Amino acid sequence: MAPVTLRSVKKSFGQSDVIHGVDIDMTDGEFVVLVGPSGCGKSTLLRMIAGLEPITSGEIDMGGRIVNDLEPKDRDIAMVFQNYALYPHMSVATNMGFSLEHRGASKAEIAERVQWAAEILGLEPLLKRYPRQLSGGQRQRVAMGRAIVRNPQVFLFDEPLSNLDAKLRVDMRGEIKALHQRLKTTTVYVTHDQVEAMTMADKIVVMNAGRVEQIGDPLDVYDAPANRFVAGFIGSPAMNFIEGEATAEGFVADGVVLPLAATRSDLAGRTLVYGIRPEHLVLDPQGLPATVKLVEPMGSETQVSMTLAGTTVIGVFRERVRALPGEVIRLRPETVNIHIFDAASGRRL
Amino acid sequence: MKTDLSPRMKVALYGLMCILLIPFVFPTWWMVTSSVKPISDIFAFPPDIIPRQFDFSTYSQVFELQPFARQYWNSAYIAALVTLGTMIVSSMAGYAFARIKFPFSNAIFMVVLLGLLIPSEVTIVPLFQMFLSWGMINTHWPLILVPVFGAPSVFATFVMRQFFISLPVELEEAARVDGLGRFKIFWTIALPLAKPALGAVAIFTFLHSWNLYLEPIVFLSSTQMFTLPQALTQFTDAYGGAMWNIQLAAATMTALPVLVVFIIAQKQFVEGLAHTGLKG
Repeated sequence: MAPVTLRSVKKSFGQSDVIHGVDIDMTDGEFVVLVGPSGCGKSTLLRMIAGLEPITSGEIDMGGRIVNDLEPKDRDIAMVFQNYALYPHMSVATNMGFSLEHRGASKAEIAERVQWAAEILGLEPLLKRYPRQLSGGQRQRVAMGRAIVRNPQVFLFDEPLSNLDAKLRVDMRGEIKALHQRLKTTTVYVTHDQVEAMTMADKIVVMNAGRVEQIGDPLDVYDAPANRFVAGFIGSPAMNFIEGEATAEGFVADGVVLPLAATRSDLAGRTLVYGIRPEHLVLDPQGLPATVKLVEPMGSETQVSMTLAGTTVIGVFRERVRALPGEVIRLRPETVNIHIFDAASGRRL
Repeated sequence: MKTDLSPRMKVALYGLMCILLIPFVFPTWWMVTSSVKPISDIFAFPPDIIPRQFDFSTYSQVFELQPFARQYWNSAYIAALVTLGTMIVSSMAGYAFARIKFPFSNAIFMVVLLGLLIPSEVTIVPLFQMFLSWGMINTHWPLILVPVFGAPSVFATFVMRQFFISLPVELEEAARVDGLGRFKIFWTIALPLAKPALGAVAIFTFLHSWNLYLEPIVFLSSTQMFTLPQALTQFTDAYGGAMWNIQLAAATMTALPVLVVFIIAQKQFVEGLAHTGLKG
């Protein structure tokens, strides 16, 4: 276990800058998730932490030592790859013990460590099999076994669940989290799936276009997104955005007055973006009119796509909404859960 | 691809395949059967598809007329060394061109590939001069060194490079994280996975070396040093006429190991070429 600190880490490929100076502090034993859309630089950043990609400038500190120029093998890390990267010509046991073998561990020690990891991950019956004889979930577990067997200071996961089907992904999510709670090893986990990020992370790092947009506790990031990008990226379905102007009466968009908290008189006269999460729209006979476009009953809740103040918004309701497309329902945004963003910079106000 | 054909179509298809088989199988059949016929029967008309009498003495005469066992050994050990050398050179060169970033690697690879475009007939005289100055004429060195560092190895390098390019980079990255250096990654990860491609390289290199004809007749002059293709031309009577049945007995013995190797390894050969994207 070791804390990991990135200081002004930059990466350029030729003239093109892909990581623009990233600062992240990861405390000892923390589970940090780097999340962002495809191409935002999260995997590149992980590879830089791993030592698979040289950094252009900045510093990477692991447990008090700068590892910028160290080879991956000298960083005391273990990595789980998106496509598992198991050696196809080696059995599960050999795959898991391979790194120990090359670090000069004795056969007895290798056998003991492999057995320990296999017990934790339920891999004992599979130790003699080859990767081609395993299912996707089993391969994933072997890849994790290969990572934990060496007891590294830092685990790195590069979108490890993206090749699994939806159900297995949920199961493996739980297993990885349970494994982390058991081993308490500092973990950096890359994903583009914000549900994975929310459910697994101690700390979320939201990235976009090579920059860190926000770092924080998952629920803090959800409840108080730093800007419009984070607000739109974290949460499913995504936050609704309505462009308009703040007035003394409230937030005016397309002639409709949306409620604002009484304390937000400072916003009057500015062109802004009104953000409200789907679950923070509530059905209210006295509320604002919204024209239904699509109703999707989920069982436990109902997702309704509708037009409110000239903008398409999504509402998620515990009630069973039985409206037809074209009908008008009435709803009210919860004023305590309204987010206001500057229209130009996207910053939360 | 699995297709469902009607029985009639199947019969037609197999019939067509049998007809197409004739030009491939007939020469081999003719070689084997003629090797046990008396010389007068070989040119009988109509030809005998199945020999009327079997004369196996031709096989013993092969060894009486030439140091055939020695020549067999010459061909075998030269082909083995060339195969081994080519596997080593082409796998290392192919890996380097596929995986190691160095200045002008693509341009250098193109220059190497150009070696395939130069016919061996063009280079044979300068090569003769070179090996003459090195005192290697009438030795087996030219037959080993030219293929290992020449055009056959270039083709093998191309095949190996294509294979290594198709190998997932993550496997090597995982090996780097596991603590392996470049050579160990090549040796313990890349090379074992390259078995199908290496198998294909081994087969066609062995075949090429085994069948080599031009180079032996240029570089070798004594019968003790001859290789099999060259030896086959030596079965003549006092007037220079071919002793067909003895020559065909020698040819049968020459072809036999190649046929056996190819039949056993044909799956590997096809898989190897398929892995390299060279499948037709």
